[in-house]
Amino acid sequence: MRVELPGIAFWRHDLGNCLQSAVGSILQFDGLDPLEFLGSSWNFEYTINDVRREEYYFPCWRDSIVASMAPHYRVSSTWHTPKDAAHGWEQVRAVVAGGRPVAVAVDNYYLPFRPAYRDVHTNHLVVVFGFDDQRGTVAVIDAVPPRFRGEIAIRQLTMARDSSNPVSHERDMFFTAQPIANRWLEIAAVGPHPAIDEDRLCAVLTANVAAYEGALDGGERFSGLPGLRRFMAEAASRLAGRDPAVVDEVFVVAGVALAVAGLHGDFLTGVARRLSLPLLAAIARDVDRIAHHWSAVRIIVGAGRDDPATAGRSLARRSSLLLADQARVLERMKQTIVDCAAHSAHSAHSAHSAHSAHSAHSAHSPVCLPTPTGEGKT
Amino acid sequence: MNRRGAMNNGPSLRASRFSCLPLNDHFDGTGLTARDGLAEGALNIWGNSLPAEELPVPGSVVTVGGVPFLFPASNSARGDNLRCRSQRLLVPSGRWDWLHVLCAAERRTEDPLLVEYAEGTTREQWLRVSDFWPETPPRFGELLAFRCGQLNYPQHAQHGMIPSIWAQRIPMTVPTGIRGVQLPENPAMHLFALTLQAQP
Repeated sequence: MRVELPGIAFWRHDLGNCLQSAVGSILQFDGLDPLEFLGSSWNFEYTINDVRREEYYFPCWRDSIVASMAPHYRVSSTWHTPKDAAHGWEQVRAVVAGGRPVAVAVDNYYLPFRPAYRDVHTNHLVVVFGFDDQRGTVAVIDAVPPRFRGEIAIRQLTMARDSSNPVSHERDMFFTAQPIANRWLEIAAVGPHPAIDEDRLCAVLTANVAAYEGALDGGERFSGLPGLRRFMAEAASRLAGRDPAVVDEVFVVAGVALAVAGLHGDFLTGVARRLSLPLLAAIARDVDRIAHHWSAVRIIVGAGRDDPATAGRSLARRSSLLLADQARVLERMKQTIVDCAAHSAHSAHSAHSAHSAHSAHSAHSPVCLPTPTGEGKT
Repeated sequence: MNRRGAMNNGPSLRASRFSCLPLNDHFDGTGLTARDGLAEGALNIWGNSLPAEELPVPGSVVTVGGVPFLFPASNSARGDNLRCRSQRLLVPSGRWDWLHVLCAAERRTEDPLLVEYAEGTTREQWLRVSDFWPETPPRFGELLAFRCGQLNYPQHAQHGMIPSIWAQRIPMTVPTGIRGVQLPENPAMHLFALTLQAQP
């Protein structure tokens, strides 16, 4: 039997990693916009010691990993852990034969198209979208540079999926010592998925700002802005105190925060452009600035092993800047939501009045967000 | 594109005055490696580096977008690039309009650098640097200075991984002169060269 699913394509965000790329490719295959799905949510959630040594780590604060990435949509995912390699291939083959691409966990050490091939072990995610039983090959797509779309031997994929992912030298950092275990990720998006208009945008912003209030923050759960404050303070303190676990933990969590902020910034930019909302574009730029703080955090920590005391002080200073900017952009979002609500109320009133007077004058407004002059309500 | 890949895509700036600032004393890492020195690479924590053979002759002056840069010498004991860690760079006294850098970042990032003016005041100006990682376009309008055909790893060269070095510029214009600049505290940013420009 030979299967190659049509319509699979690369998808990548420059601040994301293999998780966003793999999920994005599958969402795109389903005719959905990955940037809307993965970029509409913006929050901070982390439970202490939750981090896993996987390039595709994401804090699972909802029912599933993909639901946690796209909480504004009806999407879910399931991690499958087959009993062995043969069972693992049997499962993946059946799903692909049924017309669905799947994401599979792999150790790059065994994949000839990865730079880490026969060099470094690491826990990565690629998408399988076809196979050829007769030739013993499998069709794989991976948007993480160097991007690859093509066939490899099923034997090679099996070795990558069944790897114990050992630490064999000092460059096996962050994403090793975690067996791959033939895991694969099934993703299901259940429609309908409403387009982003001004009302939905306001609903999304409202939910994001509410999540940053951190109502569930406390103890081992770091949630919202209060949780982010605690997380950063503890990270700087632990780094300065030479806690050996802090580098790996903060590097990986910062990578998630970087991707989430980067995606959200670009999501807002796209919506601002489409709906002609210049002030939203300005907020999007502020979110981008938060992402750029996370780029710095990631390297302060990652390059801080040799001099953790200095890195700890540097992280503390960076945290102050990040948190101040984060609070500022959340305030701007709150103001936007207030203006949005006022506009909705006004629009409803105007529509009612217009209807009552049988006026032909439209109550429609092109914006539910303030214009650069602070006006623009109709 | 010239012999070593530099983009000469800017206007002629012959009328300008330039000063290439040597950064050797501030270099703290090896980002450029030759075939026999791959293991020395340290542009990021994974030991990646750019292939020296595909880049300008070490220690030479190379022009990018009409701006001359002093390309780092590979035999510098301190390396060939610096991570931005709040270093204070004194500049030749005078009125400078632009500060140009050859740069690369580990994921795109931005931070203000502090410009120190002759009369004792300071002002922040943004330094924005795009990712050197392959298949990643510039975010901040930089010129592509160099694009290599491979990325070096400690034990091999990966052909088809095409990293970039960017040319970025920062406005400095004030009526009085500039005394120095203090780089941001952001080790994700790497600088390879720095040139000051005064326009007529």
